[in-house]
Amino acid sequence: MPIHEKSLIRPENLTTHDELVLDGVDVSGHWSTFIETRVVKDYNESMEEEIAALPGGEHIHRCWQCGSCTNSCTVNAINPDFNPRYWIYLIRMGYESELLRDKDIIWQCVSCNKCTYACPRDVFPEGVMKATAHWLEKKGHTTKSPSMHFDEVFTEQIVKTGKIEESRTIRRFFSRTGQALMQPWMVEMVKRMLKGLPVSLLTRMGLATLFAPRTSDWSRASAALEEYIDEQEEKQAQALSLAELVETAKQDVAA
Amino acid sequence: MTTKDKYKKVAYYPGCALEGTGHAYNRSTKAVGKKLGLDLVEVKDWNCCGAMEVKNIDPKIQTYLSSRVMSTAANEMDMDVVMAPCNGCYHNLKKAEYDLANDEESVEVVDRLSKKAGHKTYESGQVETIHALDWIKDSIGEEGLAERVKNSLSGIKVANYYGCMYTRPRHIFPEKDQGPGSESTSKPHFMDDLLAAAGAENVDFPLKTACCGGAHTLSDSDTSTKLVLNILKAAKLSGADVIATECPTCHSGLEMHQIRAEKTLGEKVDIKILYFTQLLGMALGLKAKKVGVHENVSDSMKFLKEKGLG
Repeated sequence: MPIHEKSLIRPENLTTHDELVLDGVDVSGHWSTFIETRVVKDYNESMEEEIAALPGGEHIHRCWQCGSCTNSCTVNAINPDFNPRYWIYLIRMGYESELLRDKDIIWQCVSCNKCTYACPRDVFPEGVMKATAHWLEKKGHTTKSPSMHFDEVFTEQIVKTGKIEESRTIRRFFSRTGQALMQPWMVEMVKRMLKGLPVSLLTRMGLATLFAPRTSDWSRASAALEEYIDEQEEKQAQALSLAELVETAKQDVAA
Repeated sequence: MTTKDKYKKVAYYPGCALEGTGHAYNRSTKAVGKKLGLDLVEVKDWNCCGAMEVKNIDPKIQTYLSSRVMSTAANEMDMDVVMAPCNGCYHNLKKAEYDLANDEESVEVVDRLSKKAGHKTYESGQVETIHALDWIKDSIGEEGLAERVKNSLSGIKVANYYGCMYTRPRHIFPEKDQGPGSESTSKPHFMDDLLAAAGAENVDFPLKTACCGGAHTLSDSDTSTKLVLNILKAAKLSGADVIATECPTCHSGLEMHQIRAEKTLGEKVDIKILYFTQLLGMALGLKAKKVGVHENVSDSMKFLKEKGLG
C-alpha cells in the first residue's frame, strides 16, 4: 500500500453500518465497511524549509525514502511508532496534522547514530530528529521535553563554568522537570555506590558539589558563547516566523 | 617517528565524567599507563567537550568546545596527540576535527569564538585524537602486553561492549575500516584483542555496538532500562561473566539500569561490569583497589578474588 494511504485505514476513518440493504442485498455489519473519503487541505508548505533551517535538519531534502534509518533504529525496535523515514516523508510532503499525531515521541531519539551510519544519502536523520523535536517545541505544538530540559541545564552549566559537575546537573534537571530525586532505584544505587568508596573520594566529590569545578580564565569564552547563542536564537526565530505566530495568537485571544 | 614512539607521551583529556561517576576509569587508565611506561600529560585547564547534550542546542558550540581542548594541547603544550578514554570526548574531538577540515561555516564560527575567548584558533590537523584503546594497542601491542602479563585473565569470559560513539557515524573516523590492522566500525575488535592478549576468553557478543540509551539515561529512563536490559541479557546468554566497557557513560548506564531493571521491572541479571582498563591493570599485576574496582557500583570483588585477581 502506498505510504500516503496507510493513515486512511485507521479505525476512526472506517465506517460500518449495522443494518444496511443495498439493491436488495443485505450488507449489514462488516460487509459494509468502507474507508471514508478525505480531502487534505492543511498542507504546510513551509514545514520542510523551517526544519531545514534548524541545526541538524539541513540535509532533509536528500532523502530517498529507502527506509535504512527506520530499519536500523534503536528506538523503533522497542516502539514501532517511532519511524524516522515516515516522519521525513511527512515533513517533505508538508503533512503537518499527520506528523503531529507522533509529536510526543519524536524527542525520544537516543542519538545512537545507527541511522546516520546506514543512510546512503547523508541525510543525517539523527540531526533531522533533533531539528524536528525543536521545531515542534518552538512552534508551540509540544511543551519542552525532558530531554530538552536536560540539554539546557547541561549547556547552561558549561557556558557558565566550562565544566560539568554531575550531581549538580542531575539535581537541577530533576527540580526543573518536577521529579522527586530519590526514587527507590536511585536510593539503591547511591547505597551501593557509597559502600565501596574510600573517604578521600567521598570528600572530593562532596567538595565538587559545593565548589563546582570550573575552567579558569573562562569568562571571555563564556561571554562569547552567550552572545553566539542569542544570535542563533534570533536567526531561528526569524526562519520559523515566530514573531508572526505570537501576533496571530494575540489576535486570537483578543477576538 | 613511528606510531609506537609517538604514543609514548600523549596529551591526556580525561573529561568531566572521569572526575565524577567515571573516576574508576580515570584511576585505572592512569595506573595502566604508569605500569606500561606510557606518559600522560593532562591537558592544561581543559573544558567540557559538550558531551551528548550541547549539540542539541547548537552543534557549532560543541565544535568550538572540542576545538579549544585541541588548541590548548597543540598551541600551549606543543603536543601532537590527544588521548581521550571517554567515548563521548573522543567522538566530539573527532567530529570537531572533521567539521573543521570540511565545513567552512564551522571554521568561521570557531575562529570568531576563539578570538573573542582570547586563545589561538585550532586548525584541523594540528593534533591527532585517539582513544585509550588505540593508545595501548598501538604503543604496546598485543605481544608487548602478553609479555607483561603477571596474572592472566584466563577463565574469565568477557563480552566486549563498545557502545555507539566509538564507531558511529563512520565519516568522522577516517582511519577506521582501512583493512587489516585497522579498527572496524561494524565489528570493532581492539578491546577484544587487548583482553585476549591478557588471557581473557572473549565470547561472541552480538550487541558490541548496540545503544545503552545513555543520552536519555535520566530524561527517558524507561527506554534506557529496556535497552540496557537487552545488552545485559544478551551478554549473559553469550556466556559472559563480565561486560568490559570503554566509556564512562555506557559503564554508569549499564550499572544504573541494571539496578533500575531489578527495582522497576523485577528483572535481575547477574553479570559484572568492569572497565577494560581495570581488567588490563589487574592482569598487569595491579591490585583491584589500585584500578578502582571498589569505586564501581556493581560489586565484582568476590568474583575477582575467586578468579585469583585483585
